[in-house]
Amino acid sequence: MADAACTAFPGRTPPRNWGRALLLTLPIALWSLFMSLRGLMQQDRSLQIASGLTAAFMVVLFYMMMKTSSTYRWRRWFFVALGVLFPIGFIHNVMVLRGSMGIPIEEMIAGRTPFCFLPIPLLILPAALTKTLVFPGSLLPGGGMSGAGMAAMAGLWLAITLVVGKGWCSYACFFGGIEEGMAALPKKAQWKKLDPRLRLVPWAVLLAMVLLSLALFEPAYCMWLCPFKAVSEYVAARNTVGLVQNGIFVVLFGALVIVLPVLTKKRTQCTFLCPFGAFQSIFNKTSVFDIKIDRTICSPCVLCQKSCPTMSLSDDSIKKGETLMSCMKCGACVDACPKGAAVWHIRGTQVAVKPERARLMFLYSAWAMAAMFGGSIITQGLATILQRVI
Amino acid sequence: MKWPTSKLGYTAAGMTVLAAVLVPFLLMGLFTNGFTKLGLHVDQMYSGGPTARTIQEDGYTVTIHKAVYPHLLQTEKPFVQLDWKPVNALPQHVSDAVDVDGDGQPDVRVIFDVPKDPKTPLRVDVDTLNPRYQAMRNVGKQKFSELIVRVDDAILVRVPLTGR
Repeated sequence: MADAACTAFPGRTPPRNWGRALLLTLPIALWSLFMSLRGLMQQDRSLQIASGLTAAFMVVLFYMMMKTSSTYRWRRWFFVALGVLFPIGFIHNVMVLRGSMGIPIEEMIAGRTPFCFLPIPLLILPAALTKTLVFPGSLLPGGGMSGAGMAAMAGLWLAITLVVGKGWCSYACFFGGIEEGMAALPKKAQWKKLDPRLRLVPWAVLLAMVLLSLALFEPAYCMWLCPFKAVSEYVAARNTVGLVQNGIFVVLFGALVIVLPVLTKKRTQCTFLCPFGAFQSIFNKTSVFDIKIDRTICSPCVLCQKSCPTMSLSDDSIKKGETLMSCMKCGACVDACPKGAAVWHIRGTQVAVKPERARLMFLYSAWAMAAMFGGSIITQGLATILQRVI
Repeated sequence: MKWPTSKLGYTAAGMTVLAAVLVPFLLMGLFTNGFTKLGLHVDQMYSGGPTARTIQEDGYTVTIHKAVYPHLLQTEKPFVQLDWKPVNALPQHVSDAVDVDGDGQPDVRVIFDVPKDPKTPLRVDVDTLNPRYQAMRNVGKQKFSELIVRVDDAILVRVPLTGR
């Protein structure tokens, strides 16, 4: 069936035979094995098993990407696993070290607040103007939940962003998987008409949060709007303001990460709120990989537009043969296009000339990052579960 | 005209794949080190500010930090942080007159109990002997600029200043 479609529409890449798919998977298999070595050499049996399972999981998914020439549905397995297992590992660590998901003021003063990537854009202006980091963490490892420190997270973010650009939101973000999983549940969207102007909201949130963070000298998004505080940690409510803040986190999480993705089949938090995602869109301009629409064979049926989880294709952008700046290179549009008009592309090259080569080069880069960063988080979450089971 | 841009594109893509391989071995460390060398510091509202001097008491020390002033619209008051440590050397009831500004005259008297259980909430009273400092009555840890908390092996008291 797929072969027939490929014959009819030469833009679509045909599925490969298992031998060739296996050969193409070999570099990622070696990489995944290397990334899991540290876990495999630990004394902890749960960690050994989790590391092995994670490496196998990443290799099997990549093999299926190579075998079927489809990207999105296999990447989604990884991404949902990442989104679900991150809170499990994280909350377990918080409970063991601190006994509560609420971060007490002592831990903030001690610089032991875990630092995720979401506040990065909020820290830039205060840091540039006053050399001050407006976050209660440690620059270097500070024990407890401080992890490797803010410098390590910033270094990791910069390195991965250099490689995948906005692809961070599809291959590295450990929050987006929950809503992507929720969006995958229904067969059809209940709410199909979404105002395209809503796409601008994350930019407005970004601007507001950057200015507020500079004015208040605190990570305003973390303090007031981050929905993922509901599944990670939050400022322990010391007063009414704290209670209001925690209420906002829970409501936003319920609405944007659970309910709306089910109703719309979109990643609604990423599309309509996330200021980090808006900030990360800037790096789409620095990335060598992008997705193009081959206008010579596009009908247009707008299936690509419907399939995009972040509304990163508009009528105008399809006419221009490109995605919007917010495209996170998940590959949903490429997989959805029945004619193979949506293609992976390397800047500077001709559109639809060897698109599979562009896809392979991007996937090797992105999957290497996914196995390194996401893989370690999946391992941690799996090990936490296995410790309970074994 | 297409050929050179195409060649450049593939070269850049190849370099991106190479960069991906180098991330765990080189790039991440390089960027992390670069970030630490920027000379950034955590906001003093959290860290408590640099140490000004240390007073030696009977078996324990009181570290006095430099005054911390809020930025722009920060809602906290200016404060000075005092650290008592080590906790296990402190008497059960602390009542110390502290010369905060180093002029030889005590500025505040800080009174608190040291419970044996580290999880027991702390409360502090501060009597002012200098109008520059605000008195505190039965204060816990409601605000960054007005609190008593136990952090590792120290008890930290933040005394708000009257002027901004």
